[in-house]
Amino acid sequence: MTTIIVQPSGTEIHVEPGDTVLSGLQKAGYAYTVGCRRGGCGICKIDVLDGEFSYCRPVAETVITDEERADGTCLSCRAVPGDDLTIQMRDASLRLVNPLLGQLNEKARKRAKAPSTPPEEQ
Amino acid sequence: MGIMRMGYAHVRVTDMTEAKNHYASTLGLYETLEDTSPEGNKRVFYKGWDEWDHHSVVLEEGGVGVVKYGWKVEHEADIDAIEKKAQTFGLTVERMSSGENPEVGDGIRFTTTSDHVFEVYHSQTSIGTEVGTHNPDPFPRHLVGVGVPALDHSLITCEDPKLMEKLLMEVFGFYATERVQTSLDADHDLVGTWLTSNNQIHQLAVIGGPQGKLHHFAFRLDDWSQVGHAADIFTMDDVSVDVTPTRHGITRGQTTYFFDPSGNRNEVFAGGYLAYPDRPTNVWTVDQLGQGIFYHARELNERFTTVLT
Ligand code: FES
Repeated sequence: MTTIIVQPSGTEIHVEPGDTVLSGLQKAGYAYTVGCRRGGCGICKIDVLDGEFSYCRPVAETVITDEERADGTCLSCRAVPGDDLTIQMRDASLRLVNPLLGQLNEKARKRAKAPSTPPEEQ
Repeated sequence: MGIMRMGYAHVRVTDMTEAKNHYASTLGLYETLEDTSPEGNKRVFYKGWDEWDHHSVVLEEGGVGVVKYGWKVEHEADIDAIEKKAQTFGLTVERMSSGENPEVGDGIRFTTTSDHVFEVYHSQTSIGTEVGTHNPDPFPRHLVGVGVPALDHSLITCEDPKLMEKLLMEVFGFYATERVQTSLDADHDLVGTWLTSNNQIHQLAVIGGPQGKLHHFAFRLDDWSQVGHAADIFTMDDVSVDVTPTRHGITRGQTTYFFDPSGNRNEVFAGGYLAYPDRPTNVWTVDQLGQGIFYHARELNERFTTVLT
């Protein structure tokens, strides 16, 4: 399981394996400014502060420069988290537009976390 | 008559397999050639069912955005005339030999003030329409996906739309059917312009923005119901839809915008009125741009002017 932590608020979002950052956030009820959703326009860039991701499709050099590939810039519609990611939005803020999905995601996140908590001593 | 139409749009795609799926299976274009460019990139050439020339869309693997446009002229001599006008305008024109583009004849090539590459040619191998010319049926029985009949127009961005409009008028003999201006005063700035050389409502539109960028290229459909049907197919095929069916105030056309798998914006476009060179140009003031672009929503979405390839 993967968790995306959105700074500076610290909001934690549960993402299913294989989902891109964008689709993970959208499935959890969140929205932010995106464009083509196909890796071509570069509008959906965010900053990754911590954690690894990879691109699920080829991404054009004109969209992500070599420098950006090294500085934590993340094309969120094509990036798939490798493990937990700490991210920060750029100009566009992340907003919860579907609270119902948000609640379901919160439950899924808690469920996914539960097994890693050591059972309480009897 | 000089320029007859936009003959081809040549664009880059990041993944050819996905792109072929979109342009052939979802849009229903016919593949006419697959080759490798002189630079070693995979290319695929397509035509629509109602087009007779060899190709109207060229996909080239490696990146996104537009490589160039081809413009077909009516007479061989139009090439020389346009070359002279381009030189008079101050452009550097080079000659293009037959075969530099597969199945395309001699012509000229120049880079516009908007940093787009234009090729002007007179001949392209004729394949024929899918329905033929002998007692033709109105459409082919076995269309694939949307079954787009033909390439229609494109919208590009540049820093100086006024200069680009001047180029299209002076070099190509285009006239503006619609314009968006900052005001109705004589000293207005030009925000956007929609131009054509014939009765087609627009062949190329230009709006302010970065140099050399593609906003969209569009395919022609007949009417509202086809636009709606196309949008249904886009959802079935998980195409990223930008704008669901609506009308443009500018051109009066009916539209749906969507993205190809590389993020290049496409459009299916129907309707609009017949254009004539003696028709007064429709003028939109920039405060009404929302209604001009999306007639029903009457406001621009945040993607329309920022999402480009
Ligand atoms: S939304 Fe266009 S690149 Fe991600």
